Amino acid sequence: MSEQSSESEAQFVTELTACQLPLTLYIRSLLPGDSAAGDVAQQTNAKIWEKRDEFEPGTNFKAWAFAIARYEVLNYRKQQARDARFVFSQELEKTIASEIEHTDHFEERQEALRLCLQELRPRDRELLVSRYATSATLAEYAEVVGRSAGGLKVTLHRLRTALLECMKRRLSKWGTA
Amino acid sequence: MKNTELRQLIDAALEGQISEADFLRLEAELSVDPEARQEYYDRILLTQLLVAEADEMAGEQPAVTPTSRTRVALRHWRWAFAGMASVCAALLAIMILQQPDTPLIPGQSQVAEADSEREQESSGYAIVSGQVDPIWADETSLTQGSMVPPGELHLQSGVAQFELFSGVTLVVEGEARFSILSPMEVLVTQGKVRARVPEPAQGFRVLTDAGEVVDLGTEFAVDVNADGSEVHVLDGEIDWHPRGLPTQRLEQGDATRLAGGVEVPIAANSAQFVGPEELQQRLKSRTETRISRWEATTGELAKDPELIAHYQMSSSQRRVPNLAEATREPASEGAVVAAAPAADRWGRPAQALDFSPAGSRVRVHVPGEYQNLTLICWVKINSLDRWYNSLFLTDGHELGEPHWQIMDDGRLFFSVKKYDPPFKEGMRDKHIFYSPKFWDTSLSGRWLMLATVYDGTQKQVTHYLNGSILSREQIPEEYLVDTIHIGDASLCNWGLPSRNQPRFAIRNLNGSLDEFMLFSEPLSEQKIQELYNLGKP
Repeated sequence: MSEQSSESEAQFVTELTACQLPLTLYIRSLLPGDSAAGDVAQQTNAKIWEKRDEFEPGTNFKAWAFAIARYEVLNYRKQQARDARFVFSQELEKTIASEIEHTDHFEERQEALRLCLQELRPRDRELLVSRYATSATLAEYAEVVGRSAGGLKVTLHRLRTALLECMKRRLSKWGTA
Repeated sequence: MKNTELRQLIDAALEGQISEADFLRLEAELSVDPEARQEYYDRILLTQLLVAEADEMAGEQPAVTPTSRTRVALRHWRWAFAGMASVCAALLAIMILQQPDTPLIPGQSQVAEADSEREQESSGYAIVSGQVDPIWADETSLTQGSMVPPGELHLQSGVAQFELFSGVTLVVEGEARFSILSPMEVLVTQGKVRARVPEPAQGFRVLTDAGEVVDLGTEFAVDVNADGSEVHVLDGEIDWHPRGLPTQRLEQGDATRLAGGVEVPIAANSAQFVGPEELQQRLKSRTETRISRWEATTGELAKDPELIAHYQMSSSQRRVPNLAEATREPASEGAVVAAAPAADRWGRPAQALDFSPAGSRVRVHVPGEYQNLTLICWVKINSLDRWYNSLFLTDGHELGEPHWQIMDDGRLFFSVKKYDPPFKEGMRDKHIFYSPKFWDTSLSGRWLMLATVYDGTQKQVTHYLNGSILSREQIPEEYLVDTIHIGDASLCNWGLPSRNQPRFAIRNLNGSLDEFMLFSEPLSEQKIQELYNLGKP
């Protein structure tokens, strides 16, 4: 590998790393509740890397990456023959793409969330995090933790809402940022 | 649509639990309301964060999936936004290996797993290495040597020192709220925290609402309170990332104060923060106070006619005197066999005995007959690697003789033999009073006060750990012994091999003992608690 190309690859990695959060957020927004969204994001990264020579330095990396992500989502839906009832309208999908692409504050929001997560009582945090450690459905997970599905749903919802409210408090405290 | 309804719809969708009709309502709402979309994005951000946390958690279990192994190893010690580290690490790995064509698909980076199924585990990032008058909120109970639990800690007052596994020493002054997020990251929401960072832990971070400190070597402190936040560099240098303001490199003697979005440089003031040396000084003087208080208590106890035996294991002549003076029938002095001098619970050298050398014991003779007994010892257990780990046992196992020991699973064992064979139907030679499991490896090397009370009057046996009741059990009528004998006995071992039979079971305690007390009365819960409070290091 020549020094120059390794330098431009390093630059590429930096760009790709920097847009991980909006990229996965975008993919998850288009595939609500689909546990394979993480895999699609992985696949998208692989594709972006494969196509790295096609990227023209100086142009909008995020827009380019989002276009690939959108293609991968469509591709995934096709493979899965996914139920079209749970797909947002094209109009809404466009709005989502443009909003996520043009907003920079997600990292800050996620950082605030991360701090808030640490403030939860350990057993609440564990309950919440463990929910994402399995691909089990809510009902299956409820059985594992010995709770009713309805009760667990309410608890998880309450914890998520508490976290988001904590995040908003933090953000308003950070103020100018 | 109301906010609560919207949130429920979003969560239902993200759980994959939404009906078609609700999905359409959600879509309609998202299409027209930017705030609804923000709520939607926020909830997905949260999902992403939780997925990343769950990944990380799975990475800490022994059974790691092959795909997550490399990235966990790489990102373990770094702060990164959730979800970002994995791809970053994977790409970096590729750059390093110079194999740019390796596809990044799941299952590619397979790493053989070591067979760690049976390895013992513990959890946490730090231990408590010193405390002065600490008051912890929320029923947190942290003592010297405790593993620090995850989650927010609230030190209401006092000073506590932690040793993080990265080598960082942290001194926290109450009132403080903080979380140790990893060996390399600490979140401080309130209070004063001083960090000394050794070379292998450079890059250690302290996160606060006002910003983030990244250590570039040696020592700094933060003070977070309602009026603002201060960062002081006491030695070496740091990078200070105030939120919303440019990053600054601060050097020794520099300090900065951030309040209401305005930053003012100030002078670093080491005296404002308790450091490790000062804490050690305070601890030393506190220990001296406690030792002299316990010496006074020992003097008082000697006058108690119910105290049969009291040994403190300073054994310069291989003999330990019985300090009990007031009883009519005192136990003998103790004869030390094989056990080696060790530091006692206050850290004073050669004031305890280490019973781990083979054959170790202290031989004693206890005359008399008893209806009640209280046994108390201060012990430091290295490990429970024998089936039976002796505390105090009579030589043989005759009628009326007590045995006090710890099972290999961490339960305390106490019995007094009631019958010789042959036994009646369904009966045994004795009833064994087990405590619940109180010991695991997290207590290894920690000084503990164990106590067991045989109350023949109330007909109950109570086990205690550090002054608190572990369990209390009625003595079954058919197993009640009202005449307890001891005679020849050993501390921390059992039995003497007899002529022509030199083989013996290994039951010596793998640990140290610095004090043993035997009373002929059943001490109350209150009295045991008091002895613990007076005697704890």
